[in-house]
Amino acid sequence: MTMSDASIDALIDGLADDLEPVKPRRLLFGSLWVAAGWLIGAAGLLWLLGMRHDLAAGAMMAPLPMLAFWLIVALGLSAAWSALRMGLPGVGRDYSGWRWAGLASLALPLTAIFMGFGDSHGAIEAMKPQNGLRCTIDGLIAGLGVGAALFCWLKASAPTSPTRAGWVIGIAAGAAGATIVALHCSSGDMVHIAFWHGLAVGLSGVAGRIVLPRWLRW
Amino acid sequence: MSLDEPSLARLMAASQRGDRAAYRALLGDCRQWLSRYFARRIAPHHIDDLVQETLVSMHRKLATWDSGRPFLPWLAAIARYRWIDMLRRQRDEAELGDNDAAVGAEDEAVHARLSIDHLMTLLPPKQAQAITLVKIEGASIAEASKICGQSESLVKVNIHRGLKKLAQLIESE
Repeated sequence: MTMSDASIDALIDGLADDLEPVKPRRLLFGSLWVAAGWLIGAAGLLWLLGMRHDLAAGAMMAPLPMLAFWLIVALGLSAAWSALRMGLPGVGRDYSGWRWAGLASLALPLTAIFMGFGDSHGAIEAMKPQNGLRCTIDGLIAGLGVGAALFCWLKASAPTSPTRAGWVIGIAAGAAGATIVALHCSSGDMVHIAFWHGLAVGLSGVAGRIVLPRWLRW
Repeated sequence: MSLDEPSLARLMAASQRGDRAAYRALLGDCRQWLSRYFARRIAPHHIDDLVQETLVSMHRKLATWDSGRPFLPWLAAIARYRWIDMLRRQRDEAELGDNDAAVGAEDEAVHARLSIDHLMTLLPPKQAQAITLVKIEGASIAEASKICGQSESLVKVNIHRGLKKLAQLIESE
C-alpha cells in the first residue's frame, strides 16, 4: 500500500465517522422560497408605491401590456426553475429551458421597435429617463426577493457552473421585479414596457453574472 | 465492490440516512470510479489529490443528490467540477513538469459524454497537442517542444490558452 493509498483510506474513515443524516434538498422546497421571495417583493413594492388604479378598481390590463406581463412571468418562472435545478447537479441534465422563454420575450423589444417606426416621436419620448428609469430601479429592487431566494438555494446546493448560475439568477430576479412593477406602473405603452421594464431584466442578469459567481463557488 | 448504478444508489440513499457502514462502502467504490474517471483527464501525479478533493466535496454536498435520479451522473458532475477547478489552478500556476504516462480508463456512458478526446477536437490542433502531450501523457515541456516543432514558450502559451478554453467547454457541456 502506498502512502497515498493510506491517506485516502484515512480520509474515507474520517468522512464516514463524520457522517450525519442529511435531508435531501427538494426542488419543491426551493420553489416555495422563490414564491415567498416573489410575494415579499410584490407586497413590499405595492405597500410602498401602491397598485395601479385600474387594476385596484378591478379593471383588466390592455391586451398588449397583458401579453407582455405574461411573457415576462414565463421568463421569470422558467429562469427560476432552471436556477433551482442547477443546485442538484448531474452530467447530462439540461438547464437551458429558460432560453426558450427568453427567446419568446424578444417579441417585446421587436414589437416596440415596429411600433416606434410608426410613432418615432412617441417612442423617443417614452425612452427618456424621466419617463421610465424609475420603473427600472423599482423592478431591480422588487426582484431582490427572488434573487435572494435563488442565491440562498444555490449557495447551499452544488451549482457546477457558477457563471451560468449567476446569469440565470439575475434574469429570474429581474423578470420577477418587472412583473411586480407592471402591477404598479400604469403605462400601457409597449415602448415603455419593452425598454424600461425589459432593462430591469437585462441589468439584473448582468449584475448576477458579475457579482454572484465568486460567491457560488464551492 | 459494487460499481453498478443500482447498488451505488442504494448505498447513497442509506448514507443520506446516516448509515456509516454503507457510506464507507460507497466512498470506497467512488474512489475506484473516480480514479478511473480522472485517469485520462489529468496527469497521474494529480489523480490522488483530485480523488480526495472530490470525495470531500461529495461529503459536503451529500444532500444535493435526489434519490429519484441516478447516482453516477451526480458523482460525475461533482468530479467534473473539481476537475475544472484543478485545470484553472494549473492554468494559474502554469505548473508544468515531468510525469509518468497515464493509464487508460474504461468506456462508460458518463465518461463518454465528457470524453477528453471529444473535447480535444474542439480545441485548435496546436493547443490540443500541447495539452495531450504535457498534461495527459506526462511529457516535459522540452519533449513536447521537440515533438510539436514549437518553441518551449509557445508550448506553454498553447497549454495556458487551451486549458482556459477547455474549462469553458466543460462548463458548457
